[in-house]
Amino acid sequence: MAEEGVAAAPGAAAEKVIHTYPLIRHSDMSEEMRTEAMELSVTACEKFSQNNELAARMVKESMDKKFGPAFHVVVGESYGFEITYECTTICYMYFGGNQAICIWKCS
Amino acid sequence: MAPKKQKEKSRANLADDEALEWLKPRVLIKPEDQENVPEAELDEEVGRILTTINPQWVPDEVAFHYGQGRFVTKPKPTFGKAYPLYVYQGTAIRKDSDEAKAQIAAGYGMVGFDDAGPKRAKVKKSAAEEEEEEEPEAEPTPAEEAKAEEDAVGEEEKYQEKEPPVEPTEAPSVTETEVAAEGAEEAEAEEKEAVPEEAGDEEVFHIKPRVKKLANQFNFCERAALTYVYPRRSVETQTVPPPRANYGSTALQCIIFDYYQEDYAKKMREKEEEKPKRLRKKTTKHAKSAQQIHDEQLAQRIREAWAILERLVNQNIYDDIAQDYRYWDDPSDEFREGMGSLLPLWRFQFEPMRSHAVCDLQWNPHYQDLFAVAYGSLDFTQQQKQGCLCLYSIKNPAYPEYSVITESPIICLDVYKETPYLICVGRYDGNVCVYNAQLTLESSYQYKSDSVRDKHSNIVWEIRWGARLIDGEASFFSVSGDGRVVQWAVMPGELQATTIIALRSTAAPVPGPDGTLINVNSCGSCICFHPEKSDIFLVGTEDGAIHTCSLKYNRSYVRSCQAHHMPVYRINYNYFNNTIYASCSGDWRVKIWEDGRDEPLFMFELGSPVGDVKWAPYSSTVFAACTADGKVYVYDLNVNKYRPICVQAVVSKKTKKLTRIDFNRKLPVIVCGDTKGTCHVLKLSPNLRVMCKPPKKAQGIDQRTLQIMKLDKLLSLVRDPPFTPGVVDEKFEED
Repeated sequence: MAEEGVAAAPGAAAEKVIHTYPLIRHSDMSEEMRTEAMELSVTACEKFSQNNELAARMVKESMDKKFGPAFHVVVGESYGFEITYECTTICYMYFGGNQAICIWKCS
Repeated sequence: MAPKKQKEKSRANLADDEALEWLKPRVLIKPEDQENVPEAELDEEVGRILTTINPQWVPDEVAFHYGQGRFVTKPKPTFGKAYPLYVYQGTAIRKDSDEAKAQIAAGYGMVGFDDAGPKRAKVKKSAAEEEEEEEPEAEPTPAEEAKAEEDAVGEEEKYQEKEPPVEPTEAPSVTETEVAAEGAEEAEAEEKEAVPEEAGDEEVFHIKPRVKKLANQFNFCERAALTYVYPRRSVETQTVPPPRANYGSTALQCIIFDYYQEDYAKKMREKEEEKPKRLRKKTTKHAKSAQQIHDEQLAQRIREAWAILERLVNQNIYDDIAQDYRYWDDPSDEFREGMGSLLPLWRFQFEPMRSHAVCDLQWNPHYQDLFAVAYGSLDFTQQQKQGCLCLYSIKNPAYPEYSVITESPIICLDVYKETPYLICVGRYDGNVCVYNAQLTLESSYQYKSDSVRDKHSNIVWEIRWGARLIDGEASFFSVSGDGRVVQWAVMPGELQATTIIALRSTAAPVPGPDGTLINVNSCGSCICFHPEKSDIFLVGTEDGAIHTCSLKYNRSYVRSCQAHHMPVYRINYNYFNNTIYASCSGDWRVKIWEDGRDEPLFMFELGSPVGDVKWAPYSSTVFAACTADGKVYVYDLNVNKYRPICVQAVVSKKTKKLTRIDFNRKLPVIVCGDTKGTCHVLKLSPNLRVMCKPPKKAQGIDQRTLQIMKLDKLLSLVRDPPFTPGVVDEKFEED
């Protein structure tokens, strides 16, 4: 019974399921910082789902407060970037299935 | 530019506020009836002027003066609403007061700071002169003005003499260029000036010695306290900049989607990897258990078949015994009036328990052919390490139906009447266990007392199932050599111990090593519950006393009597009369007691320690006892009040002792155990089990009533003095 259910699920789910969970693509942050950044991004993106700029601002300001200034945040659906960051401060993640959020610090 | 910037800034602030709103969610609560004021009016600034006038004060306020008998005007309040609570006289005095003038004259008042004295006086003087010269009606310099300002003013005014006001720095050059033209005049003027200055100086000079130099309270520093000032130097160092790295990527919908898919697939894979472990386990277990079930079923069938076969074989082997058991009655009984005999039938032995003693045995209350045997050891110098609980059926004398080896010798057992497969045992190490004969042997005990927390600290001598508790849990009682009677509640998964009574010894308290007196517990050796009053029980002790106790009193005995001189081995209530009980002891005696009577009704001496005594379930006057010299005594008080009606040596008294005996409830057999692990089943000859014949007058009275009547008749003969109600009854009627 259980096996059948498990076997059937991936086939059906693969096409229909839209993943919205936050997914870290690349990060060298400490565990604590990463969790914080992830939670902040999720909150910001959910709060300003229509305004990426405000979301980015919110994440940046909160990160600045918590981990010291000069954070940079990019929120968008499609962009390319090549950045220089201070080690252990980058977090590049996806959220909501269509948004890419890049957080890094460089002063 | 500026307003734009400001606007931006305000927008930024707005955004900032907005951005931070989520951090502290704030809801402004407005009253419903709040007046709606336009935005412009809200922004308008309303000035507020604070004055010293008290608007509350009414100038013409009058009050009735009772002394004068008329209205008088109230005086203006001096302090308004302020009331001085504490007045402190300061040391400051007004500058223009007489005292101050006197002080100034003495040269004290004019000095503020250490450098002020002469210079200030001079400047003031000159400034005053110049003011007099240029502006006769000039306003007087306020005393409060800063000294530095005064200095500057004085300096400026010096140059203002004949020239338009210029900056002091330029003044020297101007004077130089015009030196030629106005040289004489200047010189004159300077001389003029110099004279009053000198005069001033002289004046100051006069005052100076009287000036008491006051130290600057703020940055004054004694010269002696000054230390060497080290020259400064700069040292530079440069830190390594925090490490940086580059990272570049592209965020595109397709990339994001792909990555999500990848991650999801990975998660699924991990899940599946985790699952199979459990599933595999389950399946393998299941498969295994399926095999096991098959095996077990097969084994069970085979076992049953073997059991039947074994019984068949045994029946064939012991056919003559079985025939004897069923049909043979000793014909000599007819000629021996009042005497009987015991016919030995089967002997039960369990090979691993050859060297163990039968410490307790009991017929199963439900299955008449089944009896339980506890193997332990009564030789305390060479104590066995193991014990065993066996269930034998007389259908199969060769091997026990159920046997479980325990790590400690078993001393006593009791079969639960409600569920005859539950057997509680008491062990040599003080633990009590409950065994479930329905379970397979692997599981061994079902419940066991906690060896650490609440086991007995001595041998458990007797154990008896009791009534169910209020909550419906089964419970049993154990009595131990440590002097405690403990009730064990069979809770799910554990036994809960409650100490019912701690037996006190009559011996005086023993002084301990540090002077404390230690009360000696007497050692309980047997326990017996009243057949009807489930809260009354008798406890026999190793010093020979029999205490009547109640579950209701945990401190004192209901009754106590010194029944024997040696340990009491067994107390057994009569099946037909609840007030009659028998006790046996190591002092060779069996005594029959009646509740509430200090002296026994009957006393028999058997010539050897009596291991056990039991009333017959079929007759009110028959009881059997077994002794250490290997004999079984059967008494029928109705036939002979002084001698046994049967004495039979069952085992050789040189090598074996009889320990325990038990009547079968339904069959005319008894079982007794010896110290070499053998159980002997004996058949009672007809003379030992004579039933009452109903008298001719009252035919149709049932056997039980007849038996009770028989015993009562017997007792009425024996009782001396006549029967009085027992102490026990009296005590409990009060409650």
